[in-house]
Amino acid sequence: MEPIRKDEIDAQECGSVTPKSKPCPRPKPGEAAGGCSFDGAQITLLPIMDAAHLVHGPIACAGNSWESRGTLTSGPSLSQYGFATDMNDTDIIFGGEKKLRDSINYIAERFAPPAIFVYATCVTALIGEDMDAVCKEAAERLAIPVIPVNSPGFVGSKNLGNRLAGEALLQYVIGTGEPEREISLGVNLIGEYNIAGEMWDIEKLMNSAGITLMSRITGDARYKEITWAHRAKVNMVVCSRALLGLAKEMESRYKIPYFEGSFYGAKETTYSLRQMAFLMNDREMERRVDRLTEREESRLIQDLRPYRKLLKGKKAVLYTGGVKSWSIISALKELGVQVVGVGTNKSTEDDVRRIADRVGDDTEYIPEGGASRIIKTVRERKADIMIAGGRNMYVAMKEQIPFIDINQERHKAYAGYEGLLRLAKELTYSLANPIWKLAASPAPWDKEDSYDH
Amino acid sequence: MSKDNLDIKDNNNLFKEERYVQQRENKKQFEAPCSEQETAEALAYSKSAEYMEKNFDRKSVVINPHKACQPLGSVMAALGFEKTLPFVHGSQGCNAYFRSHLSRHFKEPTPSVSSSMTEDAAVFGGMTNMIDGLENSIALYKPEMVAVCTTCMAEVIGDDLNSFIGNARIKGAIAEDFPVAFCNTPSFVGSHITGYDAMLKGILSYLYTRSGIQATPGSGEGTGEKLNVMLGFEPYTGNFAEMRKILNAFDTEYTILGDHSGNYDSPATGEYEYYYGGTKLEDVPLAANALGTLSLQKYTLKKTQEYISGTWKQEISALSTPLGIKGTDKLLETISEMTGLPIPASLTEERGRVVDALMDSHPYLHGKRVALVGDPDLLIGLIGLCLEIGMEPVHIVCSNGEVDFNDQKFKIEAEALLASSPYGSEATVHIGKDLWHMRSLLLTDPVDLAIGSSHLKFAAKDADVPLIRVGFPIFDRHHMHRYPIIGYQGTLNLLSLIVNTVLQQLDDNNSGFNFELVR
Repeated sequence: MEPIRKDEIDAQECGSVTPKSKPCPRPKPGEAAGGCSFDGAQITLLPIMDAAHLVHGPIACAGNSWESRGTLTSGPSLSQYGFATDMNDTDIIFGGEKKLRDSINYIAERFAPPAIFVYATCVTALIGEDMDAVCKEAAERLAIPVIPVNSPGFVGSKNLGNRLAGEALLQYVIGTGEPEREISLGVNLIGEYNIAGEMWDIEKLMNSAGITLMSRITGDARYKEITWAHRAKVNMVVCSRALLGLAKEMESRYKIPYFEGSFYGAKETTYSLRQMAFLMNDREMERRVDRLTEREESRLIQDLRPYRKLLKGKKAVLYTGGVKSWSIISALKELGVQVVGVGTNKSTEDDVRRIADRVGDDTEYIPEGGASRIIKTVRERKADIMIAGGRNMYVAMKEQIPFIDINQERHKAYAGYEGLLRLAKELTYSLANPIWKLAASPAPWDKEDSYDH
Repeated sequence: MSKDNLDIKDNNNLFKEERYVQQRENKKQFEAPCSEQETAEALAYSKSAEYMEKNFDRKSVVINPHKACQPLGSVMAALGFEKTLPFVHGSQGCNAYFRSHLSRHFKEPTPSVSSSMTEDAAVFGGMTNMIDGLENSIALYKPEMVAVCTTCMAEVIGDDLNSFIGNARIKGAIAEDFPVAFCNTPSFVGSHITGYDAMLKGILSYLYTRSGIQATPGSGEGTGEKLNVMLGFEPYTGNFAEMRKILNAFDTEYTILGDHSGNYDSPATGEYEYYYGGTKLEDVPLAANALGTLSLQKYTLKKTQEYISGTWKQEISALSTPLGIKGTDKLLETISEMTGLPIPASLTEERGRVVDALMDSHPYLHGKRVALVGDPDLLIGLIGLCLEIGMEPVHIVCSNGEVDFNDQKFKIEAEALLASSPYGSEATVHIGKDLWHMRSLLLTDPVDLAIGSSHLKFAAKDADVPLIRVGFPIFDRHHMHRYPIIGYQGTLNLLSLIVNTVLQQLDDNNSGFNFELVR
């Protein structure tokens, strides 16, 4: 829906430049807002696939959200279960701590997970449930980690929730285990959630270059591998805003160097792989990465040729959040697609700077959400395609605008070299579909009518 | 470029490729996997009667719930009225969930706003958020009415909607005469159907009271002799069209109270609007003069029904989802009684055609054991349909049936209905249970078919039974909601869905001896 704030990038005061404690810009009342901190925390931790994720609160927070993210698993699926304490009015009056304790016990006994994450919700935070104490007691008694995630919805945005989840990992998980001896030390990926299996493409590339992916934080992760994340040699922050704090803290605590990177587009992918090898301080690995990236890039150039011909000069409006707000721009540029409008409402100041580095001066910045605001940009800039998330998809359909889903519900993996090829194919598909012509032409009888006038 | 070059593999095929399989194998070093034997044992245990008993003893945790919360229903109810903006008073995430949830089901945008309460609101109350929110949203989305519901947060801190909205008027944030209907919908009570009811009642009573009209029930004054019709929490836009078809066949005047089908089935004209269709606001107070009100979801619409019979002093006929031949017969008889009009020949003829279709298919459906999940009114309809074509409902789970021991009208009615037929003799009705309970039921006492929402797909897959998607939410199939499931036509649609699933299964599972052309 429509924005409230003016088109001022200056209004963005969030992320790495400002102090960590400063909250992200909050949506104004009366807007159709995005997700909350609870949602953000869940999104970050749910991809730990073998853990149980228990929502402590009324049914809504779990009932409205379980199993609705496209974060894929290659094995365990406990994370896909919707566990909730389903608090009712009596629990709210007398407290739900007993129910929580019983729930934890039940899950531990029946599902034997390596860990249980317990999420606070607005209600449990407001009535002052001592979740930390319940979790601590349960953890000791059951001898498995029971981790409180104190990120109730009202504390702020989805991104703040991501960060609070990162803090829970730092406080309760990272550093509590040691890698088995045969695992060679390598890189942690932070803020990559394996949507549509993107992590697997990245992992394949890293393996080809001989780089070990040590801990996934958290796409398709196993609880155990995160406990030894502190032994990694390098951290790569894939989704820059959300978990940068985690990487910074790991640098100061464990002396692990980090860098921010992306896998959208060949250039970004090459940069990220090189950066890994460079920070690993391994000459041989750097040579291997160079050979791999050269080979992949030159093959990609061949494969992309027909698509580039079709996509050259096409204009897109990009409305997404976090790292994708700038990294997809690089990918699109490599395909010859010009970004004429870009959303910045979920971007940090750094993200916005990166966007500015990548787009032309006449690109429009869309600082706040809202279907009609995006549509307006598409119309005014004569864009050919809209690239955004699920909540805006159906609006695009109403307006008969070709669309690609880039957010959490996407079903195609766009990361890495192959991902770029897939993106090119999807763009071509979407643009070339005959439905747009059919939709744009009126019914034949209406057409006849127009000739009469 | 030729189309053939555009081969995009989906995840199913892509990740079956050898290199990915290898990668997953390699990855096991990071896991602490159980041995295959241990996994098999655990799986077998989870399918055992012993485990089922423990599962049903479970008191605290809910696993895979089959209900959403009150304000989600409220948003749907608000969208049933013309140019009405749903306004969720509470912290912002809830509204995002409602919008995604409803949009994923209907494949349409959901206009709805939030007052975005944060910690300061938690301490000082949400009045400022309400006042700013009303002012901003009215300026931006230009609704003709705002319909405010609450989330848990606003309820826990005890925000007073009436006085907040009053203060917004005093402060000039909204015009004195701008309609703002409201209702309280804490998520820790009830479910999406309770919330639908609360908002529908909130809107009807608000618009009626402010109009100053004194109801003269049955006078039909200003309206002709109209009937009011309420479909309730209705996930099928097609059901509205079907209901209109039936009422038009009777040639009766009617007002649908709460019609969100326009908002959730709008044409792609090339221009998006926030509001499509909905019950006209000025029709609501006049509805108080109608002959009577027909409710198609009696368990969902409890409070609204009470309000209409109490304040409007109107005759209420409350049915459950009119599904199957008998269910639809009852609907037509009720309309006929309420309006005094005869049942139209066109519908009798349609009835005959659908009975014929049921006869054609009955050999494939007789004795099929079925598991059912849904909201109370839908379940009554589905049980009726199963019984009349000789299918045997076995497990019936209703997460949001009345769990109060003294108020189990739904359970009592469902059990009476099942007892009325030998085909219902094996059935058990479980209220307040979740889909993990259903999984135990499916595994210990297998059935042939499962009927329920998309959420049931996990349990159905574990039990290896085909799932026929009916109800809310249906996220993983397209356009199901566009086809009616009520009335004779709806019965035919459901029948096709069920029988063709069975026939497909015959083809898929053929052993080489029964791959037949004619079925």
